[in-house]
Amino acid sequence: MKKVFKLEELDCANCARKMEEAIGKLPGVHSASISFMTQKLTLEAEDGRFDEIVTEAQKCISRVERHCRIVK
Amino acid sequence: MTRRHKQTLARILVAGVLLIAAVLTPQAWGLWRLPIFLIPYFVVGWDVLWEAVCNIAHGEIFDENFLMCVATLGALVLGEYTEAVGVMLFYQVGELFQSLAVSKSRRSIAQLMDIRPDSAHVLRGGKEVTVDPDEVQVGETLVVRPGERIALDGVVVEGSSSLDTAALTGESMPRDVEEGQEVSSGCVNLTGLLHIEVSRPFGQSTVARILELVENAAAKKAKAEHFITRFARWYTPVVVLGAAALAIVGGLVTGHWGEWVRRALIFLVISCPCALVISIPMAFFGGIGGASRQGVLVKGGNYLELLAKTRTVVFDKTGTLTQGKFALSGLYPVRDEEEEPLLRWAALAESHSNHPIAQSLRRAWQGDVKDHTVTDVEEIPGRGVCATVDGVEVLAGNAVFLSQHGYTPAQDVPAGTVVHVAAQGRYLGFALIADQVKDHAAETIAQLKAQGVRTVMLTGDSREVGEQMAQRLGLDQVHAQLLPQDKVDQLEQLLDQKPEGTALAYVGDGVNDAPVLSRADVGVAMGGMGSDAAIEAADVVLMDDDPAKLLTAMSIARKCRAIVIENIVFALGVKGLFLAMGAFGVATMWEAVFADVGVAVIAILNASRMLYHKKSI
Repeated sequence: MKKVFKLEELDCANCARKMEEAIGKLPGVHSASISFMTQKLTLEAEDGRFDEIVTEAQKCISRVERHCRIVK
Repeated sequence: MTRRHKQTLARILVAGVLLIAAVLTPQAWGLWRLPIFLIPYFVVGWDVLWEAVCNIAHGEIFDENFLMCVATLGALVLGEYTEAVGVMLFYQVGELFQSLAVSKSRRSIAQLMDIRPDSAHVLRGGKEVTVDPDEVQVGETLVVRPGERIALDGVVVEGSSSLDTAALTGESMPRDVEEGQEVSSGCVNLTGLLHIEVSRPFGQSTVARILELVENAAAKKAKAEHFITRFARWYTPVVVLGAAALAIVGGLVTGHWGEWVRRALIFLVISCPCALVISIPMAFFGGIGGASRQGVLVKGGNYLELLAKTRTVVFDKTGTLTQGKFALSGLYPVRDEEEEPLLRWAALAESHSNHPIAQSLRRAWQGDVKDHTVTDVEEIPGRGVCATVDGVEVLAGNAVFLSQHGYTPAQDVPAGTVVHVAAQGRYLGFALIADQVKDHAAETIAQLKAQGVRTVMLTGDSREVGEQMAQRLGLDQVHAQLLPQDKVDQLEQLLDQKPEGTALAYVGDGVNDAPVLSRADVGVAMGGMGSDAAIEAADVVLMDDDPAKLLTAMSIARKCRAIVIENIVFALGVKGLFLAMGAFGVATMWEAVFADVGVAVIAILNASRMLYHKKSI
């Protein structure tokens, strides 16, 4: 399943890159791409565990930038 | 400026004043000056410190907040109070500038794509109601007043008007529409009231598809973006380790620990790769946004990169360089003064036929068939037609047809479809029907050639027609009589022939050339308005039928590449220079903070140039 999420309060481009790397390494994620300019996360991951993976992704994001949130 | 920006600005100003006050305190106070300097330090930098603490708790040691804290706290320990506070202050100024520049660019891009309609007026039960475009059903009737944007795709059922299609095609000439014509969402109604029957739900409308495509484009990253990502992964750790090595080795060798630690702290200030990480994707995104404003949809930064190094352009003929519509292109009467009768007889004799050739004759003639009597029509498929027009026997058809009836038609005829005409027992001459070349086709080819691009045309038409067209347009090469599958083979050969390190673009109209579009390095489809197939198969979509848009796309791509190279060279150059100067003790923290945030701001401003681009033709 592929879905695009809006990211709130994504302030730092280097952080976006770090998040993208971290999310890309999560088990079950096929591909993850964060666009700093559009403030969007494009996530492609296993169908069955998608919601779980989104929660994991949020953790990766918070670790890098505390305020940044995935809008569901 | 958002509230947060304003708060930061206020903190910077207050801290600036406090810093000046602190600097004015007498040197003799010694260590007692530290708390006075700490006030502005915390005013301006508390959030950086707090972020650093939080990130350390997460194990993020190469976090820029943390490194900035180490650098400034280190300076405080070394007794360089002014530098410590000053660097934190300038770091915040730089961050504020960056944030403002980025949000300005985000806004400009959002404006570029501001084609999403907020509401739609629909007729329900004879009354007009205003609803969200998402709620409108297929088959409902939209009411669009002058000045309003058409919310959904549909067909005009009442009224006529002219439409501003600039938001979709970049074309400023208004387009006239009347009953029965299809219109695309996103166009602005200029003059008359229109009733439109909705043909597609909002999710599949032109506007929704364009927005989706352009927004998704950011996810397809260019090679340069991947390079920056890889580079950023290593840059910070390498610089930090370099700083540690510098302090330890320098300290051990010379014994001047303070001096070498100071030099090492300069490294930490320059350790963020932000300038590159922000400005490179921004240049590509600005390019994609700027192109969409001109009616060119690019599906990803990677395609902009490929377009910039395109040195071979392969065109499809029909529908791409030509309009794909047959029209009268010349009258060749035996007697010079008989142009009008030649066309009139031909048009009337063919007046009962719906063949494209007959239609083009009627269009060219412009007379009214009702003023004449056409009887005894006998049509021989593939040959011609024989009819009695106003009591006169008229023959119109190919050379074989006229020869069969005992006439001697002209032998030396140009390429195209020829209709020979005989009336009153005499051969009058012939009319030439040909596909019409698009307005900017020749100009586009000429400009491509001037840029050193090889131009090739593929066509399913006869060799004669193809070669004549190629000569007229000045194409380098033409391959004719190709079946759709031959086109792929031919393209493979051209791909083999292209110079090393360059790309090949194929421009087609998306009608039965999808395999070729996807095989080319860059597949460019024309006339994206309303054609799903074209939008689906291509990497770049030219929204209107103008081949000159390819030049626009290529020049945007080249400008983008230039900005990306400038930014990479500039940012790496300045950072490298200041790292070297820091290591040799020439640079101070003041210069280092410029090398960090100053460079980032300049690179961002340079990238934002991508949002503004002039037309090529």
